[in-house]
Amino acid sequence: MNNEATTYNYKVVRQFAIMTVVWGIVGMLVGVIIAAQMAWPALSFDLPWLTFGRLRPLHTNAVVFAFGGSALFATSYYVVQRTCHVRLISDKLAAFTFWGWTLVILLAAISLPLGFTTSKEYAELEWPIDILITVVWVVYGIVFFGTIAKRRIKHIFVANWFFGAMIITIAMLHLVNSAAVPVSLFKSYSVYSGVQDAMIQWWYGHNAVGFFLTAGFLGIMYYFIPKQAERPIYSYRLSVVHFWALAFTYIWAGPHHLHYTALPDWTQSTGMVFSLILLAPSWGGMINGIMTLSGAWEKLRSDPVLKFLIVSVSFYGMSTFEGPMMSIKTVNALSHYTDWTIGHVHSGALGWVALVSIGAMYHLIPRLFGVEMYSKKLIETHFWVATIGIVLYITSMWISGIMQGLMWRAINTDGTLTYSFVESVQAMHPFYIVRFMGGAIFLGGMFIMAYNVFKTVSSGKAIQAPIPEPAAAH
Amino acid sequence: MLSHIFGLFINPKKEWQAIHDSDCSVTKCYLSYVLILAAIPPLSGYFGTTIFGWQFGARDAVKLAPESALFIAVAYYLIMLVGVFTMGLMIQWMGKTYGAEQPLSRTVSLAAYTATPLFLVGVFELMPILWVNFLVGLPALGYSVVLLYTGLPIMMGISEEKGFLFSSAVLAVGLVALVCMMVATAILWGYGFAPQFVD
Repeated sequence: MNNEATTYNYKVVRQFAIMTVVWGIVGMLVGVIIAAQMAWPALSFDLPWLTFGRLRPLHTNAVVFAFGGSALFATSYYVVQRTCHVRLISDKLAAFTFWGWTLVILLAAISLPLGFTTSKEYAELEWPIDILITVVWVVYGIVFFGTIAKRRIKHIFVANWFFGAMIITIAMLHLVNSAAVPVSLFKSYSVYSGVQDAMIQWWYGHNAVGFFLTAGFLGIMYYFIPKQAERPIYSYRLSVVHFWALAFTYIWAGPHHLHYTALPDWTQSTGMVFSLILLAPSWGGMINGIMTLSGAWEKLRSDPVLKFLIVSVSFYGMSTFEGPMMSIKTVNALSHYTDWTIGHVHSGALGWVALVSIGAMYHLIPRLFGVEMYSKKLIETHFWVATIGIVLYITSMWISGIMQGLMWRAINTDGTLTYSFVESVQAMHPFYIVRFMGGAIFLGGMFIMAYNVFKTVSSGKAIQAPIPEPAAAH
Repeated sequence: MLSHIFGLFINPKKEWQAIHDSDCSVTKCYLSYVLILAAIPPLSGYFGTTIFGWQFGARDAVKLAPESALFIAVAYYLIMLVGVFTMGLMIQWMGKTYGAEQPLSRTVSLAAYTATPLFLVGVFELMPILWVNFLVGLPALGYSVVLLYTGLPIMMGISEEKGFLFSSAVLAVGLVALVCMMVATAILWGYGFAPQFVD
């Protein structure tokens, strides 16, 4: 059974799945290094390419686009084939997205430490790389939607809606936000200026969260949770309703990143109101995920993969509650520019995105290589290690963040500031050490995963999965 | 009632069974347990911040004005009393989903005894150095989570498998409640209810 028309294209899924683990380790390692630099600044050794300012964009790009991106490519290619009962429309184009995306990541890993940057947050890569991203992304869209177009199942499963929304919206965000005038091969300037540039930047930035890190990973949730729990989605109607609600609401939330700036006040308030409304569709997704898992409660204690999934959905619920709260102007006045934001981002990034990806990989990798995972016990260990790491990270940033906010705001009766900035830095030191430990522990979990995956892959072989005949309509 | 404290640390399963069997009412649970234990953190906090003061970095400790500290301590106390009761209500409400309907007295007891380590560790607020509080608070929080997972199946009369899921849901609600507290602090502070310090 090697006929291309009768088997799924698992090769590209395998490539992206393995790279998810590899880029996860690389991206988180850079994160741990810069966390250590925050606690012990001497660790940059006065080398320009090792400074926080250059490594921080490398960390964010590596975890979001390399780790998260590979997880999305792997799962979306897998899910779209399996739920449409067809092979990807083109093996060559799929291979192009893998090698193209890998090239983008390598170029980022070289150019960012060298100091080439557009200075746009989460879009630091210079214009030649941006063009490469555009080409790869368009090809991704052609492969994904082309496969949907020639599907053999009439219904388009909801996970594909989320993946599709991610692909379309990210294309739009990337093209608009990265529009720039090149002045040389390595330098360009944004076509927007002043507060418009800031607004476009955060329209992009927050929707990278909303459509890349939320919609895409909800696509993962809607396929892998029902599969692993062997239960149908709790409410399919809810999944469709909250899909449209998310799509319409998220796009307006960006201005909450610019509270109390030169942005017009009404725009800030609009952003805040839409952020508060977002709570409803976000929790629609959380409830759907948790209730689907609830149907499989008898397996939960013994299946570590389900544990990854339920904890990820819980963190999704917690951070999508925290986010709207932090967008309230009064709260933001205290929380903005403090470590509370960093804690919030990581409860989403580690708690939701990383855990759901890891859970999906533990489900996916054995099926791609035709074996069981090498060690279930190591998955369980990874789960606990990851959880402890997240708890240390988030709690230390919460306390550090609130303390910072309060210290910066404290004033004496004569109106002068009670604390100098450096005093707040000194007070943060112990929490930065705890944060570093939390991150290092989470990274340790990724090494456990890498070992487990390596042993699994080396005992298995690349399988050819036959495409089943679609069931007759009922 | 306070005798349960020791047992919860030595043999939690056995002690939860004893708490389950003692079947005390909400009023009795509050009078004999919650009102007493929940007073530890605010009392310690009051004396800690007025006598010893907050220590930030290398400068001298800043002390709170007694009236301001009293206001915060009373608010702190009330929030904990209301918080335990609310968690009890939430557990009872969620019990319907998990096929574990229990009287409010039992779900409130579950919430109250689960919080024991957190109440006790409040004594460290006598020494208000934030990172010390954080370091002793984390294991206390961890043990509260352990108590939740061991106690919930016993108190709610469900299997350990189902209890695992239910406990995780309670934990998620607890996390959301924690975030609510942080937000409430930020908002109150923002509207001028900031603590007054002694210059």
